[in-house]
Amino acid sequence: MDVIIWALLIATALLILSPIVFMFTASLMPARDIVKMPYRWIPEELYLDNYAQAIRGNDGSYIYPRNILNSFIVAGLVSVTTVLLSALTGYGLAKFPFKGRNLVFLLIMATMMIPFEAIMIPLYLVATSLNIQNTYIGLILPFLTNAFGIFLMRQYLITFPDEILDAARIDGSGELSIFWRIILPNSAPAVATLAILTFRSQWDNLLWPLLISQSEEMKTIPLYIVKFAMEKHTNEGAMMAAASIASIPILILFITLSKYFVSGASLYSSRKG
Amino acid sequence: MRRILKKGIEHKKARWGWFFVLPSMAFFAVFSFYPIVNALYTSLFRKRLLSLRPPTFIGLENYEYLLKSPDFWNSIKATFIFTLGTFIPILVFSLLLAAFIMSRKRFQKFFQMAFYSPAVLSSVVAAAIWLLILDPRGLANMGANFLLGTKGVDYKWLASANMVRFSTILVYFWKYIGYFTIIYITGLASIPQSLHEAAKIDGANGWKDFWHITIPLLKPTTVLVSIMSMLQCLKTFSTQYLFTQSGAPLEPINVITLNIYNTAIRDHNIGRASAMSIILFIIMLFFTWLQFKASRSGGEVDYM
Repeated sequence: MDVIIWALLIATALLILSPIVFMFTASLMPARDIVKMPYRWIPEELYLDNYAQAIRGNDGSYIYPRNILNSFIVAGLVSVTTVLLSALTGYGLAKFPFKGRNLVFLLIMATMMIPFEAIMIPLYLVATSLNIQNTYIGLILPFLTNAFGIFLMRQYLITFPDEILDAARIDGSGELSIFWRIILPNSAPAVATLAILTFRSQWDNLLWPLLISQSEEMKTIPLYIVKFAMEKHTNEGAMMAAASIASIPILILFITLSKYFVSGASLYSSRKG
Repeated sequence: MRRILKKGIEHKKARWGWFFVLPSMAFFAVFSFYPIVNALYTSLFRKRLLSLRPPTFIGLENYEYLLKSPDFWNSIKATFIFTLGTFIPILVFSLLLAAFIMSRKRFQKFFQMAFYSPAVLSSVVAAAIWLLILDPRGLANMGANFLLGTKGVDYKWLASANMVRFSTILVYFWKYIGYFTIIYITGLASIPQSLHEAAKIDGANGWKDFWHITIPLLKPTTVLVSIMSMLQCLKTFSTQYLFTQSGAPLEPINVITLNIYNTAIRDHNIGRASAMSIILFIIMLFFTWLQFKASRSGGEVDYM
């Protein structure tokens, strides 16, 4: 029985990892080798032309580096604003009793039930009326904070020792200074988890940039990959190279900081479990 | 005198509480609550995306049209097939995998990371990879032919209606199985070891222990996984979008979100798209409420 379970686990792990391995190996092969049956898992030679083609783009415009930069900027900025706003709000909800606090918390949690697809059109119309379509601000604005981040920070800050805060107040510290100099620096685990999960989520965002970015210069990585897939004669190798380039930053983050990804998942379960 | 002082501190705290909370409240008012109300409002009009003409009020006509439209009912069907076909296997397999992993003394972290890795990738990347794997000349056919002992059969992963549905389910399952396995692992870990030991003393073997102790105590986790995976499935977009953009047939996988997008952006019909969005919102609210009820009706799970 024991052996069976090991075999099942190993087989499942291999199956699940194989598409990722496929992406990397295919990116190093000329397109015609990818579709040769049977698939050669180890490429004959390191065919780097795919990466050159991915960066050059099918139209030769070298726009991909710009798209990658855009993704970094947008994901980075959204992570920063989300951490700050979620910490502020979570702190207020955790440590400051006020009338209506529970209602506020419930309203914020309710926003999690609003599917983005249901509000994407009104949001788009708001963005166009503010004339921020096709801008970085337009890409970032709908994601300044979210209910999950607020929940995470509140959960964490509820257990923050009150004595430290009261001692600081007795010493004459202002509330904002307490937030900035005591709360934030000492919330590293929650802040790191939130920052990483937010970054990954924005990196992945397709729908909003699809609506808001109109020029090639303002597109993000997912839009570039979609463009590749839509070509009439897709160069499969180059498409996998583009996908590999898009995945390397996130995979590096994952391998080095995996505990933050995993803790994010288990944090969700501790909410209701 | 002390009471006045205490009241003062309480008031001060309350004021600061509002201060800290107000920025995100303002944000949600503008970017969450206003849009959903606006979508409801727009759904009562005939409105075209780029036209300068003022929209015409048509009341519930958009909803009437949708409820009689075979295309919209097809979207509902496609969405439900996808949702049920994904979340049920995820529920079953993530529990099994979590149980298997927890029963191992070593390599737990490795397996967790391996299973979780697809969730880390962007969904467009995942769809692009699978686009190639599911190609007639790709790995999927190779694997299927090998497993089923057939030779050179093209299983039409992205061409035939049923297969393309299965393919979208496959991609989503692959992407999220690890995430829900970890949630179950956390749930399993929260069952006190003493309960398992007590069962052992009473003579329960591994399977009995699993069936009568572990599974009932996992009810909150199971409900959570159900709600989350179902809601996640209702929101699917990237996979179906990329597949149809690369030539897969639209009709079998025309999920509601894709239909909303096409109706608004391709057909410029914002009124109708808004009505669809509201219907989707109501569906999601309904399922959340339904499972909330299901988690209550079983009674509190008591360790004693």
